[in-house]
Order: sequence, then structure tokens, then C-alpha cells
Amino acid sequence: MPDQSDGRLTFKLVYYGPAQGGKTTNLLRLHDALSPEMLGEIQMLETQNDRTLFFDLLPLGFRAPSGLLIKFRLFTVPGQVAHDGTRKAVLSRADGIVFVADSDRRQETNNAESFQGLVENCSRVGLDFENTPLVVQFNKRDLPSAVPEAEICARWSATPWPLLFASALTGEQVVESFEALLRVLYRRFAGEFSLMATHGLDEDAFVRSALGCP
Amino acid sequence: MNPTFFDREWNLPELLDAAALERIGPALAQMLGGNVAIFAADGAVLWGQAEPEARREALVLELEAIGFLSSSTADPFALHGARHLLQTLLGAESRYKMASSLHLEATAEDYQALQRGHARLLESEARYKALAESLEEKVAEQVDLLDRRQNQLFQAAKLASVGQLAAGVAHEINNPLGFIRSNLGTLGNYVHRLQQYRVSLDSCPPSWSTLDLDFALRDATDILKECETGIVRIASIVRDLKFFSSVDRAEEEVVDLNESLRQAFSILQGQLPPGIQIRLVLLPLPTLRCQCGHLNQAFLGILRNGIQAIVDAKRPGEVVIRSEADDECVTLRFQDNGVGMTPEEVQRVFEPFYTTREIGVGTGLGLSSARSAVLAHRGNIFVTSQPDGGATVTITLPLS
Repeated sequence: MPDQSDGRLTFKLVYYGPAQGGKTTNLLRLHDALSPEMLGEIQMLETQNDRTLFFDLLPLGFRAPSGLLIKFRLFTVPGQVAHDGTRKAVLSRADGIVFVADSDRRQETNNAESFQGLVENCSRVGLDFENTPLVVQFNKRDLPSAVPEAEICARWSATPWPLLFASALTGEQVVESFEALLRVLYRRFAGEFSLMATHGLDEDAFVRSALGCP
Repeated sequence: MNPTFFDREWNLPELLDAAALERIGPALAQMLGGNVAIFAADGAVLWGQAEPEARREALVLELEAIGFLSSSTADPFALHGARHLLQTLLGAESRYKMASSLHLEATAEDYQALQRGHARLLESEARYKALAESLEEKVAEQVDLLDRRQNQLFQAAKLASVGQLAAGVAHEINNPLGFIRSNLGTLGNYVHRLQQYRVSLDSCPPSWSTLDLDFALRDATDILKECETGIVRIASIVRDLKFFSSVDRAEEEVVDLNESLRQAFSILQGQLPPGIQIRLVLLPLPTLRCQCGHLNQAFLGILRNGIQAIVDAKRPGEVVIRSEADDECVTLRFQDNGVGMTPEEVQRVFEPFYTTREIGVGTGLGLSSARSAVLAHRGNIFVTSQPDGGATVTITLPLS
């Protein structure tokens, strides 16, 4: 549930996925590509050999026509299996999730295990998985060993989640993935927080303001 | 939002506590030419002297101002620089605090995961323990079953050999008995002819009287009659023996158990010690399909036991045999007024070779073989007794 207090509405968005799938790279690209009204620095909390130990945090935000400050805090979880406790703690209280899968064929098992872990951890930290906005991003499309799109689509088409094919390294589809999440997020929470009626934000305005496009 | 969560919005007083302000404040004052003030987001002064004319800069963390820095003595550049310095400090502080809070949360989560794992372990341990326990029980059950089966086999073998012996003896006795009976008949005819010859004589030769042959002829008739009686008795004993020796035949027969009880009664009747009697109180019974040889042995064993209990009591007494039936089963009761048993003895009474008597007096097999026979007929047998109050053995046998 987004936190609304002191004239601000904060969405906690979590990039979840297997180790070295490109969650941090997604955030780095977003930081470079987005130009919302407010964009903070990426905070990287402790890494070990360039691998996230705690989390990364990218804050961004804008003011709605009503004056309400809408804030997004983008977190990444540590992907390594050993850090499940930290992963759960970071996932706690998430309002939206981007699942970053690794397109490399050798990572298929890790993807599946990580997704299973996401479902289980959601229930452990009290998140209603069915009703939490979720976007699935298959990253590393630039890899020669990437599983073909058709194969992935065949496997995931029956699921209700937007499916995106990205290459965080080159920045391809990174913003689009975030945008997809923003749209699901808006549809999920707009009514509850009266974004349109009280704050003058329709879906497009909400997305454009968050991305910072004119 | 819960104030312990790592991802909450940190405010300035949290990031800079009094001790930190005491260290930072004077340094900033020195850098900024004397006057400096640090404000919380709501405008409250946390440290220093707030001057109305002072320049003021926001301290931004993430996206928003969480406090302000002001100085009336610093030039704009110095204040700007000091603000960045302080923001960097606040950023480091907030990262440290977030990391340590997250660490606590993760540790708690890990601990809970451990506990969940531990609970699962305990659960599976309990499951295996229960399994092991029930396994032990099952093994004991099987061993018990084997024991009982073996016991039954032992009893059956024993009964069969006794039966074969009895059948052989009966057969061997029957043959001589046959020719003795026939010879005695012929001898009777001869004596009769002698008697007729005597009647035909008008006077006897003197030697007839000297030898007292009149008496001899009369007495011979009596003796032959007694022999006849004896033979009838032997024949009846042999018949009974054969009846009970039918144990080696496993086929079932349809019998009236009252008949079996009467047979047992007549076998023991001749062997009763003085002062002890057996009384039959038999109600009509439906016929029962059973291996009656086994049941006959059982009845004999129980009756012998009852008689012995009265002998042990050293007083006159009786064993009452009662039979009755309802729609479902036949019930037989053997009640004696002998010495009776303690509850402990009652508990063990069906154990093979359990006996309260002197060695040589009882085999300790009477009741246990009786129980085997009754259980083989899907029946029930139990004993009620009190010390010095006699004992009652009750047998129920299902009709179908």
C-alpha cells in the first residue's frame, strides 16, 4: 500500500530477479534516461565485487497539479541466493515489482527459482501477489545465447503480466519496462488515492510526469 | 509507516543526534565565520543561533528538504559549499542507518526462516518418531500373532498326537473286546446247555455233589453277567475315547454342544473325587458347525480345572455347567466353587504352561488350549474369579 502522508504519496517499486540479471543496470540506465521534475542520486548500499549486498535506491518524483508530491523509490534486491533474508526485507511493503529475468538459456532454472521465490516471499512478507502490480522483463536480449522471444512468449503469454524484452546494457526497453509498471500501478491505485478526481492526474499525465517526457 | 522499517523517510534529528551536532556545529561555525544554525524540516532550531537576517539553504536528502542550514556571517559560496558538505554527511548517515536497519530486518527474517526450518524439522522428526513407534508396535503385534499361531500349531500337534494315540488304543481294544464278547456269549450258551443237561438227570452222580457243580453252574451265570456288564462299560469308554479322539479330524461337523457337554460329563463322572459333583443345567441349543473334537477337549480341560480347584479347597463342592443361546451366539458357563484366583492369576490364566499347582499336578495347558480352540471358532472366553469365591469360565461361540 503506497504511503500517503504530509502531502506526499510514495510508491515503493522493487526490481526483483536472479543474481546478475541486470537489476542495478536497469536503475543506472533509468537514472540517465529519465528527467522527471525531481531525480535523486542512485544510492548503492554496499556492494561486493560489483554485486549488490543490500540494495540500490533511485528516488524520483513530481508534483501533481494538486500539489501532491508523488514519489517513487526504486529498489533493487540482492539477487544472490544466500541473501534471501535481505531480499525479503527489501521486498516488504512493495507497491509494484519489475521481475528482471536473465535471457541466457543457462539461466532458465535460476529464473524459475527466483520467480518461485518471489511468489513465496510475497506471501511471507504479507504482499497479495495476485493484486500487486508486476511487470516481467527479459533482460540481456543482446546475448547470443538468449532464448528466442517466440519461445519466451509461448511460455509467458498465458500470464496476466506485461512482458518486455530489454537490454539494460544498451538501455533498450528499460524505460518502457518502467513505463509498463507505471501504467499497471496507476490502474491499480488511481481509484484508491483519487489521482484523477482530486489530484488531476490521468494515466498518461502520471506516466509522462514520472518519466519526465514533455 | 512503521518507524523501524529501513525504507522509512528519515528526518534530520534522526540522522544528526545531539552528539553529532555538537561535533559538526562548531566546525561549521568556524568555517562560516561564526554564526550558523541547523533547522529541522518544521523550522525548529536543532543547533546554533538563528539570526533573522541569515542566509538559508535547504538540506535535501533524496528529493526533499529535510532541514535547513543558515548563517548570517558566511558568504553565499561558503554557505553553499557547507550545505553540500552537510548533505554528503547526511547521505552517508542515512545510508548507514538504512543499511543497519535493513540488516536488522534481514536478520529477523533469517531468524524466522531458521525457526520455520526448525519447526519443519521438529515436525518431520515427530513424524518419523511416530512412525518408528508404530513400527515397534506393529512388529510386536506381528510377533504376538506369530506366537499365538505357533501356540495354536503346538496345541494342534499335541492334540493330534493325543488323538492318534487315543484312536489307536480304541482300535486295539475294540478287536479283543469283540472276540471276548463273542466268546463270552458262546460260553454262556455252553453253561446253559450244562444246566439243561443237569435238569435232564434224575439223580446226580456223587462226584457232582462233591464238586458242588450246582453252585458252580449258578455262579458261572452270574460271573458271565458281570463280565457282560464290564464289557459294555469298556465298550462305552472306548466309544467316548473315540469321540474325543476325533481331534485329529479337522473337518467341521454340525453338532449340538449340549451333547458334547453330556459326553464330557459322563467321562468325568466316573473319576470324580468324593464330595465333588458335576451338575448340568442345559437349555436347548441350536446346532453349531464346529470342530467339535477341539471344543470337547476344551470342555474337558475346563471341567478338570474346576474339579481340581474344588479339591484344592479341601471341601465338598460342585461344578455347574450351564448352556444357553440367543439369536447370535451360544453361551456356556462352567462355574465351580473351588479356591478361586487372585486378579493377577486371572490375568495370566490363559498363558501356556501357567499353573498355580504343584509341578506334576497340572500341565498348565488346560485353559490355554481351551482358549485356542474357542478363538479358532471366533468365539470368546474369559474367566471371572475371586480368591476363595470359585471361578466361572464363560465361553461364547457365534452361531454364524
